[in-house]
Amino acid sequence: MSLADVGFVLLRVLGPVLVILLILPIPMWVERRGAALIQDRPGPNRVGPFGLLQPLADAVKFFMKEDIVPANADRFLYVIAPGIAVFSAMTTFAVIPYGATATIAGREVPLIGADVSIGILYLFALTSLSVYGIVLAGWSSNNKFSLIGGIRSSAQIISYELAMTTAAAGVILVAGSFRLTDVVAMQSGTWFGFLPRWNVFPQFLGFVVFYVATFAETNRVPFDLPEAEAELVGGYHTEYSSMKFAMFFMAEYINMIVASALTVTLFFGGWTLPGFHPEGLGGVLLSVVIFAAKTAFFVWVFIWVRWTLPRFRYDQLMRLGWKALLPLALVNLLSTAALVVWGVL
Amino acid sequence: MTARLVFDVAAGLAILFAAVMVVHRHPVKSVLALVVSFFALSVAYVMLSAPLIAALQVIVYAGAILVLFLFVLMLLNVPEEVRQKSGRPIHHTLSALAIVVFAAVLLGALRAHGATNAAPSTSPLTGEVAPVARLLFSEHLLSFEALSILLLAALVGAFALARREGRT
Repeated sequence: MSLADVGFVLLRVLGPVLVILLILPIPMWVERRGAALIQDRPGPNRVGPFGLLQPLADAVKFFMKEDIVPANADRFLYVIAPGIAVFSAMTTFAVIPYGATATIAGREVPLIGADVSIGILYLFALTSLSVYGIVLAGWSSNNKFSLIGGIRSSAQIISYELAMTTAAAGVILVAGSFRLTDVVAMQSGTWFGFLPRWNVFPQFLGFVVFYVATFAETNRVPFDLPEAEAELVGGYHTEYSSMKFAMFFMAEYINMIVASALTVTLFFGGWTLPGFHPEGLGGVLLSVVIFAAKTAFFVWVFIWVRWTLPRFRYDQLMRLGWKALLPLALVNLLSTAALVVWGVL
Repeated sequence: MTARLVFDVAAGLAILFAAVMVVHRHPVKSVLALVVSFFALSVAYVMLSAPLIAALQVIVYAGAILVLFLFVLMLLNVPEEVRQKSGRPIHHTLSALAIVVFAAVLLGALRAHGATNAAPSTSPLTGEVAPVARLLFSEHLLSFEALSILLLAALVGAFALARREGRT
């Protein structure tokens, strides 16, 4: 392996992570301005044009705040918990294909961190680890509100993970592979000449269940019970301040982006578009732009829903997860299996 | 070469944290040590070209079962164990004897089955998804289904027990 190969691998792996970190202020800004739009008020508009520099001002503020560790907290776990949250959020992006295969200097560079055969399983493995960040934060803070937030989070994530994986199983069934590049490749082209071959059309039910479950997995309204401020102060991050709090904040936004990217990959054809054949470097760049645009749309839906729907009660959350989403995901899986057996899909 | 090094480090970490799990006095810390141990095990599986098992190890054990353990420990708020010293010498003798016997059995087994070899040479595809699935649904179909029924029975049994207790 030459130095250039190492360089390309580093670029493939670190590129998307760095880009996500760099664009992270944008969804934060969109969240605040979007909230203002929906609530019919101006929102942040003092720092820079349209308040665009607000996230930067927030970051400076986070850095300047005192970093407090509560007196009876478990120091070690308290410090590593936000790290776990950010780590599991960032590493999930590695297996999502974010563009067509580029040919740079005579080398084929597939735009994906690692095209592994267990792609989607790797993703689910890391999302299931993300719960440790929240649970440990809640427990190590030595605060009742934090503890309840952590406990809620572990129950919630385990419950919704079932519905989410079962919904995704329908896609895997049709693609016949856990490899996400295969999932994307299988969704290129059209049905009847106009309908894109996206999984969302034959498996609309699966898409709805999956997308609803991602809201619970990312702790977003209407399922943000681990941090429900009306009853738990701040939930699992009640005791966190300064950059440690900011890390939980970052993890939430990265999780949102990854969840949107995964939804696009599984149900909306990833970077493909009917009639679009990437040629040359320009075409490859265009494929990345298509992927980013689709992802941005779903990030916007996350924000839209947050400022539109009220929060669920905890028993309602559990009832929805176990008695509605899981059976619906199973119906989707069975109907998809039937379609595959009959040779329709 | 690098692969071997990664395997050795992962295996070493798995053993180290398994020991921490046993020795640590705080139940929550024990669970976390077990999580790290499972994670290291999963890295070892990847190095043995069994990525499917590696993913399942993390999803099922680290991601679901141990989270439930943690959930219960936190709900019950189990405090740090107080190390008790039993005054009777017979306890010490018996436990020392048990450790020696166990170590002897372990060493004997390792000797007999030649664990001194490097990681078993598997063909690169045996641990992939499709071959495992094919074996599971052809050769081992009966045992696979029997196991799932066993798990279902255990589930129903647990539910029945919990219900009966709730009624009284």
